[in-house]
Amino acid sequence: MEYFSYLVATGISTGALYALVALGIVVIYKATKVVNFAHGEMFMLGGFFAYTFHVMLEWPYIPSFLLAVALAFALGLAVDRIAFRPLMQRQNMVSMLLCMIGLSFVLKGLARWLWGGKGDYLTFPPLVSPTPLNFGGIMVMSQQLVVLGGACLVMLVFALFFKFTRAGRFMQATADNPKAAKLVGLRTDLVYMYTFGVGAAVAAAAAVLMAPLTLLYPDIGFMLFIKAFAAAVLGGLTSILGAVVGGFLIGLIEQMSAGYIHTSMQEVAAFIVIMVVLVFIPTGLFGQRGSRKV
Amino acid sequence: MVLFALLLVAPAFGNQYHAFVANLILLYIILSMGLNLLIGYAGQLALSNAAMYGIGAYATGLMMVHFGWPYWAAAAFGVLFAMVSGTLLALPALRLSGIYLALATLAFAQTTFWVMTHWTQVTFGAGGFVPPPLDFSPLPLTQSEGIYYLSWIAAVLLYLVAKRTMESPIGRAFVAIRDGEVAAQALGIDLLRYKALAFAMSGFYAGVAGALYSGLLGFVGPESFDLLQMVLHKGAVVLGGMGSVVGSVLGGVLLTVLVELTKEMKFSIEIAFGGLLIVFVLFQPQGIVMLFKKWLPGWVERLHYLPRDMQQQPAESEPKIGPGSSVPGSGPGPHTKPTAVEGDD
Repeated sequence: MEYFSYLVATGISTGALYALVALGIVVIYKATKVVNFAHGEMFMLGGFFAYTFHVMLEWPYIPSFLLAVALAFALGLAVDRIAFRPLMQRQNMVSMLLCMIGLSFVLKGLARWLWGGKGDYLTFPPLVSPTPLNFGGIMVMSQQLVVLGGACLVMLVFALFFKFTRAGRFMQATADNPKAAKLVGLRTDLVYMYTFGVGAAVAAAAAVLMAPLTLLYPDIGFMLFIKAFAAAVLGGLTSILGAVVGGFLIGLIEQMSAGYIHTSMQEVAAFIVIMVVLVFIPTGLFGQRGSRKV
Repeated sequence: MVLFALLLVAPAFGNQYHAFVANLILLYIILSMGLNLLIGYAGQLALSNAAMYGIGAYATGLMMVHFGWPYWAAAAFGVLFAMVSGTLLALPALRLSGIYLALATLAFAQTTFWVMTHWTQVTFGAGGFVPPPLDFSPLPLTQSEGIYYLSWIAAVLLYLVAKRTMESPIGRAFVAIRDGEVAAQALGIDLLRYKALAFAMSGFYAGVAGALYSGLLGFVGPESFDLLQMVLHKGAVVLGGMGSVVGSVLGGVLLTVLVELTKEMKFSIEIAFGGLLIVFVLFQPQGIVMLFKKWLPGWVERLHYLPRDMQQQPAESEPKIGPGSSVPGSGPGPHTKPTAVEGDD
């Protein structure tokens, strides 16, 4: 029982992070019908930015957090400019994906070059004392609580942003119907650009939260991307709520399969979920049932 | 082609390292041709090619290690195994397209990689294993020479197969599927059959390359078949020109040379090839083949790739493939079943 509750706690706190990264994927997908393959690299670089400010320059935590998020936002805009906008007119999904894959490798290579080579795992100091807390027999790492709280906060800010700000509404409008949005005078290309930025910023926030729990290394982006994509697909890829639920579910599935089947299952559980979901329930749990376009 | 003739005599000159690189070139030619059939012609963006390559290499090597099979039998098995996995992968492919297909195949590739790393009893885990040395005893050849000529024969045969197939109704059906699935279906193209065929062919090509690779290197380990490998294959296809068999040959050559150069210069291979992929997709989406076509008079290969923003540009051979203009023959064409012909190369 204690083991089980430990697994649940870990699953939920990592799941919250997957949910955050999945949010970015879903928001971008909804607006542009493209999955940002370089999204994991946004996460990874966000973490490295925060590391640079907080650990190497020894700035306090909050400013480095904000700065990392802002830089990731700028990076998201760059992705739009490099990979998305020039290829959008060409209407060619294959080239766009290839371009994003190329971009993600460039970013990964840059990170390896700037912050150290392969196998160089950077540690990030925890925010709170590393002693586990005890809630009625359930042991919880205090950092996990910080992560969970932080993730929920970011999600809340995100939801408010969409509901109550002009920019958020522009994004919703463009996602709903790009042609109509253009007709009423929205600069949809700018909206796309900022959507990429927002997605990247959320990923970076997740990275800064996660960094103390795991370690930072250049390949982390891809791992996170795959897991978050599994979460997004499970949630239906078009539903924000789905992304959040999917994130938590993936976190739990991963921990359970690691805890009760084999530890190495943790790495592969997400892939299996992706394949199973795509083949058997392609619309996911909350997705729209789309008709095929001709 | 001149290039193949050059490659045939290449090992006579140069040292062992040059011969090794030349052999790698042959393998990459095979790999990028196979991937081009799938991506450039049939338009299925699958990210599983490196995994198929790995499956071919592993199946070949493991058969020799665990069951003591001779190389030719193990290689045939490896090729078959990769082809069957490729075909099985086509089953979900029928339901998925675009991004979903890319991610599903990516998940498949990562699962394969995981199996290679973790199923230690069979695959020897992350450290890899050494297949037994090969013996070309009736012929006066060393192992590396033997593998070299074998690769050369395979590359030439597969080049001819790819070229003929893509000029046959099969190739036109692939292109029709790429340009519009619904239109293709309306023309009576059996999507399941042709997609499965595309996946099987590309699996076959990758399997051949994998089987040769395990013989070439004398060592098989999982890190040879990781994501970077996948990007290299994509790079070769895009560099050469999507939808052009000749382009793939050129792409394979250039790519291998570039990889070896970056290794020599200790430059980050990830930045180099990621960047190359971006530059080519953005600025030269038809690959270097298009440059050849523009600047070399008398270069005639029908290119099956015309992005929409390039269509007004007059190409030498008229743009024959629009979504509606390609009607595949309903009966079997003269070169329909190419894969059965040389299964034991």
